[in-house]
Amino acid sequence: MLPLSLLNAAQNKPMLVELKNGETFNGHLVNCDNFMNITLREVYQTNAEGDRFWKLKECYIRGSTIKYLRVPDTLLDAVKDEQSRAREAGRSARGAHVSGAGARGRGAPTRGGRGAVRGGPVRGGRGRGRGA
Amino acid sequence: MASLQGYVDHRVLLILQDGRAIVGVMAGYDQKSNVVLSDSKERVYSMEEGVEEIPLGLYLVKGDQIVLIGELDEALDKAVDLSTVRAEPLPPIRY
Amino acid sequence: MDKPKREAILDLAKYANERIRVKFTGGREVTGILKGYDQLLNLVLDEVEEQLQGEGEPKTRSLGLVVLRGPTVTLLSPVDGWEEIANPFVAQE
Repeated sequence: MLPLSLLNAAQNKPMLVELKNGETFNGHLVNCDNFMNITLREVYQTNAEGDRFWKLKECYIRGSTIKYLRVPDTLLDAVKDEQSRAREAGRSARGAHVSGAGARGRGAPTRGGRGAVRGGPVRGGRGRGRGA
Repeated sequence: MASLQGYVDHRVLLILQDGRAIVGVMAGYDQKSNVVLSDSKERVYSMEEGVEEIPLGLYLVKGDQIVLIGELDEALDKAVDLSTVRAEPLPPIRY
Repeated sequence: MDKPKREAILDLAKYANERIRVKFTGGREVTGILKGYDQLLNLVLDEVEEQLQGEGEPKTRSLGLVVLRGPTVTLLSPVDGWEEIANPFVAQE
């Protein structure tokens, strides 16, 4: 299952986000995008040392500054159920072939140059327009 | 290109750039090596006491923070008594 | 859950002329009144105060009218509704 699928499914759920600088943010996910930028509401911020706390109405966090996110355990099963239900619906409607775990809907990550992760090695993904 | 596909649904060890060691079942990944880890536990090593395992639940870890993903041999891992293990914790990565 | 790809998840129009807090890679933090912005999150802030880090007591310096580069922005939140509190986690283990 794609990490971004999990994140999209986590909208309106509570989560904990730790940034690279060690600060943590506990809040409900409002929205997220393909760069993993997120907006949270009703946020409790803790500093890296863990001794100071703030409450924020809402905040926007850059994906590139996130170390990890902790989400409710129940989310995994919820997303898997939904994906298999969607697959069943697709299968009965079209009889299309199933292309293996995790390969479906791969079109999501960074499309088009602007703001995309650049300067790194091109992980030979499909559809990169390199005449693959 | 190395693929993480072989590790899906397997128990893995993740080492992060800050030196943390996390074990969990890899539920998914993407092209940037972002990883979804379920039933995850952080293993805190120390020289004075045995390994402390902190349950963390469902985790989405950013690929750029991951140093290493290793497939755990579950049989071997179960055989280890973590309370007897003494080890220096890993320091964070420095460039 | 199909979202239009180009639409930003943060609508900065709602913060226009309000004081917002911005943090940057490298650890700096400022507050200022939002006067302008673009899709890349470049910002124009007025009456900017930088909160100096690592001081015993909080110190600030005034910077006036500033253009902030989007790529270095790590966090953005409105000052309204931001307050320091005591530990809200009763038994966070």
